[in-house]
Amino acid sequence: MRALWRIFRLLWEADSWAMWRGAALTVVVLIMGAALLGLSGWFITATGLAGIAGIGIAFDVFRPSAGVRFLALGRAGARYGERLLTHDATLRALAALRITLMHRLEHWPIDALRRLRGGTALTRITADVDALDGVVLRLALPVAAALITHVVAFVMLAWLATPAVAAAIALGYLAGGSLILMRVAMRTFAPSTEAETAMQALRQRAIGLFRGQREAILQGLMPSWRDRIDAEESRARAAQDRLDRIDTAAGMALSVLVALVTALVLGLSGGLIASGRIDAAQAAIGVFVALALAETVMPLRRGLAEIGRMRDAAGRVMAPAPQGERPLSAGGKPPATDRAAGLVVSDLDLARPGRAGLLLHGVSFSVAPGEMLALRGASGSGKSTLLDALAGIGPMQGGEVRVLGASLADWPEPALRGRLTLLPQRTALLGGTVLENLQIARPDLSEDAAWEVLRAVALDGVIHGRGGLQARLGEGGAGLSGGESRRLALARALLRRPDILLLDEPTEGLDDPTARRVVAGVRAYLPRAAIVAATHRAAETDGADRQVDLKKYMPKTRFL
Amino acid sequence: MASKSSISRLIAGRPRRLLRQASVWSTLSGALWPVQAALVAWVIQDWASGTFGATGWVAATSFAVLGLMRAVADRIAGRRAFAAADQVVADQRKTLLDRESLRTDRAIASADLAALLSEKLALLSPYVSRYRPAMARVMVLPILYLVLTVPLSWAAAVILLAAGPLIPVFMALVGMAAKEASARQMVEIGDMNALLIDRIAALPDIRILDAAEKSRADFAALAEGVRRRTMAVLRVAFLSSTVLELFSAIGVAMVAVYVGFSLLGEITFGAYAAPMTLGEGVFILLLAPEFFQPLRDLAAAWHDKAAAEAVADELEARMTREAAQVLGTGARVERLEGPPTLDLAGVTIMRGGQRHALPDISVGAGESVALRGPSGTGKSTLLELAAGLLRSEAGQVVVAGRPLDDDTADGWRARIAFVPQTVHVPDVTLREFLDPHGQGADIQAALDKARAAAIVAALPEGLETRLGETGAGVSGGEARRLLLARAFLTGADVILADEPTADLDRDTAREIIGALVDIGRAGRTVIVATHDDALCAAMDRVIGMEGAG
Repeated sequence: MRALWRIFRLLWEADSWAMWRGAALTVVVLIMGAALLGLSGWFITATGLAGIAGIGIAFDVFRPSAGVRFLALGRAGARYGERLLTHDATLRALAALRITLMHRLEHWPIDALRRLRGGTALTRITADVDALDGVVLRLALPVAAALITHVVAFVMLAWLATPAVAAAIALGYLAGGSLILMRVAMRTFAPSTEAETAMQALRQRAIGLFRGQREAILQGLMPSWRDRIDAEESRARAAQDRLDRIDTAAGMALSVLVALVTALVLGLSGGLIASGRIDAAQAAIGVFVALALAETVMPLRRGLAEIGRMRDAAGRVMAPAPQGERPLSAGGKPPATDRAAGLVVSDLDLARPGRAGLLLHGVSFSVAPGEMLALRGASGSGKSTLLDALAGIGPMQGGEVRVLGASLADWPEPALRGRLTLLPQRTALLGGTVLENLQIARPDLSEDAAWEVLRAVALDGVIHGRGGLQARLGEGGAGLSGGESRRLALARALLRRPDILLLDEPTEGLDDPTARRVVAGVRAYLPRAAIVAATHRAAETDGADRQVDLKKYMPKTRFL
Repeated sequence: MASKSSISRLIAGRPRRLLRQASVWSTLSGALWPVQAALVAWVIQDWASGTFGATGWVAATSFAVLGLMRAVADRIAGRRAFAAADQVVADQRKTLLDRESLRTDRAIASADLAALLSEKLALLSPYVSRYRPAMARVMVLPILYLVLTVPLSWAAAVILLAAGPLIPVFMALVGMAAKEASARQMVEIGDMNALLIDRIAALPDIRILDAAEKSRADFAALAEGVRRRTMAVLRVAFLSSTVLELFSAIGVAMVAVYVGFSLLGEITFGAYAAPMTLGEGVFILLLAPEFFQPLRDLAAAWHDKAAAEAVADELEARMTREAAQVLGTGARVERLEGPPTLDLAGVTIMRGGQRHALPDISVGAGESVALRGPSGTGKSTLLELAAGLLRSEAGQVVVAGRPLDDDTADGWRARIAFVPQTVHVPDVTLREFLDPHGQGADIQAALDKARAAAIVAALPEGLETRLGETGAGVSGGEARRLLLARAFLTGADVILADEPTADLDRDTAREIIGALVDIGRAGRTVIVATHDDALCAAMDRVIGMEGAG
């Protein structure tokens, strides 16, 4: 629940002024609605009484009827304003929530972030933030507005009618309403969690079934895999059914509450009129307001029925970062450096994450500024693991890496990122223009400089053909081919102008002549950088000054 | 209106019955309101005429009891509607799963299909459980309230008619309001979430580029843009729904004022012979807001319809398309009897709308054969045909002396081991992967024979290590050797391997060739598709595939 409270504060504070105004208008709408019915009831009853008494002419019809019209029009207007304000504030809050989430994710270890982008984790995050979107609009605001409206209604009724009627209405709604709604909230926790877990499991298993379809068919496992999906589905449906039962029961209870409160006012008023404490028209106010206030409690049930889901989502969004490799400190003073020292690797031992036994043993090489080294090795031989370790992302089992003369372990992460860049095997571009994608690496990038780097990776022609730097890419850089995306990611890395550049299969997906042009372009663009490229293609090894074959560092125990 | 029929077609049989019951109960609840209103009117009339006493409490109690009845009716309606929605979603999910799980030509990503199965299908639910009952109420209740008003005051009825209805005009308004509202929902949430996913997916890159702050600032600017565009749309969209509210508010206000003036005797038209009584006036006033309520409910549920229609259209498009199914059901059955042989005669397949002929081949029991040829000549296709994963268009595939069809495919697959180029490793433990049916065979011996023991030894938890997306990764070469180990384990006597040595370093390739040769020596039939000379040399016979395709 603490997480939910923190989310609420975050959403509210995204634009608290707009939220307050929205909240105020929400109350105005509810009060005007109650006042409209109350005044109408009073007006009709009073005119009826006047008519019976034969004093119709003396009755001041102008003010009440103007009041009715004002309330009717005013309520519609206030409703319009309320919807605009709360939606505006909510949109700001949505952005704030997402930015907070991004900020939190930034502190995750990179290997955990890489795992995030595959499969279902991202859809889960979306589902969670969607669930949290309702915290203010469907939960906090209606509850607060209902409470305030009841206070105002109590005061007005006590003044216009009598405290007895006011108290009956306020007590009935507040006591009964909170009892019912609290009960809803309490009871939905377990089934919401259950429904959500089962739905996620259903999705996970469905993906497993579709991806592993051949495996299931070939092994004769299809029916049993289907059974498991069906079991999750039954679990989800049963939980949703329970939620619906709770929700409709709450709706029923609230309807009964409205009927009871109204009936109570109806019954009480007879005695009060008989004893002369109020007249019939004042009594009518009570009856009509009691009916109108149903509008304050009925919508609450929906928000409260979601509270279990919101709580779980808040817990996940606010969860601490997962454990993982983070070899570097997050901040601190950069070490003393020597640009001429380049990159020196000595006796490095590496293991693949989650595996016992070494993947590579005693890796040693050095790369001087202006030099390019090709790391050769078949797929699975540990090239990417090695580059991750050199970039301070992955763990080392032993040995030492010196970057610009300083031990890798002494580098705080931000300082290292300013001097060393890695182009990983899997890169992601962003939706937006080509220029925006490049500016991620260098915010003050000019158009000329952008073209220069695009020329270096032999992508200038392609970008010209697509409409220049302002050409828009879809999500994840959609619209470019695999080889083009790769080169744009490479250009982005070059823009960092690092002293040490680590490239993991930089020209994957390019034909041989283009690959050679790209390698030459990279070296020309960064003539003084120490470059390490993991590769298994000739275009890259030919462009390098030296080669290291990782095979010689494979521990012998790998093959029994 | 194609979309309308597509969504209506989804509701048939039991859900349809449930929905009808829900509509009846829901309407019934609304129909009881005039009785409650009459009770209130009666009491207030009594107050005005100075009659108090027991009747007040009797009326109040009756009011409460009626309220209880309405609440119960609403609950029943809600539960039935939920059951209908639940059934519709479950039926669609089952149909979709039945079809897609055995389909071989799927073009949609697995994650998208899973999203369709889980959250997208769930969008049908509010349409069924909210929109449809609201629609039923709109058809009946306003007319009922109007009919009850007319005998008391035709003028009040005229006010309601004028303010409300022209119900079609109103409905058009509602439609416009809702259409914009749903479009806006797509825009605002969709955009914001798409942006978020995009940024999170790129976070590893962003971290390496030290661009976290810049990325967040960009996101904030983009989100601000989304907000401004959305608000521009909303300012207009909310106007339409405000008009709807305004009409109902004005309707109620005019009825109130009219009734008030009538009671004072200042207005004499609109009622009938006798002047309107206070009770009649209260009754009319209480019906007025309820006259508009069904319309407002429907408006509130409108975007449920738009969302459901989109899903229904997607489902229909998916269902009407031809789907190529695998042979058989993918179930575990008795092994097909007969020698481990494969014969293809005159087989053609359709791919991408084009007919491709495959060469006639005949592989005898215990033979090791390489299908050799450059990529694109149908080697993989031939292996898939032999495993019953593809249907031939013409010609015959004969396995173990029997035609390969729906009846024999599952039995045939029980005795083959298929090693694809890209091995899918499911999210299970290594033990479950190697011994899927829990036969408890000697896993270690099989691993040794397939030269895969070292792979398992390197895993932290050995055979209990979890594989798959979230678990420990195994490389392509490792996975292929594990599959060969499984072939030893399950006693498969036909091995179909697609490019088993591609993309591997020489040592790993040698291991795999060795394992395949051992399998062949054990008397099993081995068919590999390859262009690797070393692998071809290790087989008994090489079949050239150049001419095919």
